[in-house]
Amino acid sequence: MSEGSNEALSAALAAEHAAIFAYGPVGVRLTRAAAAAARAAESAHRSRRDNLVVVLVGLGVTPPPAAPSYALPEPVTDAAAAMRVATTVEERTAAVWRAVLPVTTGRERLDALTALTDCAVRATRWRELDRVEPVTVPFPGRT
Amino acid sequence: MFPVVLTSRVRTGSRDDVPGIRRRAVLLSAVLAGAAGATGCGLIDEKPAPPPPPDPLAPLIGEALALSATYRSAAAVSDPDLAVRLTAIAADHDAHAREVAQLIATPLPSAPASGPPPSASATSAVAALRAAETKAHDTAVAACLAASPGRVALLGSIAACRASHLEALT
Repeated sequence: MSEGSNEALSAALAAEHAAIFAYGPVGVRLTRAAAAAARAAESAHRSRRDNLVVVLVGLGVTPPPAAPSYALPEPVTDAAAAMRVATTVEERTAAVWRAVLPVTTGRERLDALTALTDCAVRATRWRELDRVEPVTVPFPGRT
Repeated sequence: MFPVVLTSRVRTGSRDDVPGIRRRAVLLSAVLAGAAGATGCGLIDEKPAPPPPPDPLAPLIGEALALSATYRSAAAVSDPDLAVRLTAIAADHDAHAREVAQLIATPLPSAPASGPPPSASATSAVAALRAAETKAHDTAVAACLAASPGRVALLGSIAACRASHLEALT
């Protein structure tokens, strides 16, 4: 592991902190299937965060702490806004995991690819719930 | 052949009567003949360089174009909502083929005229698409894990996109 991978993994952790924060206001605006999707997504981001903390500590890197609050892409005033914000959160988190790929190999790269893939799949699920077509993008994580 | 010409010129030259030189000339011609035989195309013509081995990512292009054709065939016989979904996925696969071709600096082959004949029902068509997409996802994951740092991000996005197609087909 190199300095490049330490930076990329720290950026991934910062993005996971932000995603967990965002699902707070998102979740309260949603009901039924969408609310369940938000809970599942938040739980998945918490698992990624916890794993990243362990990985960074193992590398001798101080994990960046969560900020008290994060700027959301738009105010979460209703269910539609909540699903748009959730989609954007997944797209942004996909991008940081994509940036981990070039600085990793083997098992670490597979972990990053799985994280990128999970974000892409959740973004697709949010577009479906929000009835946005197309529900996929050709290059998840590309900004 | 070149060695024969050399031998005959030495024989008719002014030193043709000097045995030592003539023996060396004959010996030289034999060596040259052997060299010519070994290379197979003479001493003057350069042997053409062998074609470079195909890029390991080249098969991904054909795979993406074949998938795209399969989705378009299925879209043609699907209800309008599903057709919109399938056509959008086909466009993703087309974009993947273009980007991989650009990455490995190879011309994009013309797309197959049409995919396989569509299945009898929409349900079986979607099941067949899911199977093909799952296989293609595995291909992209393997390519991503084996890729050099300069290629891995594109392949990671393609793998993630194919997984999102499976979600979209659910």
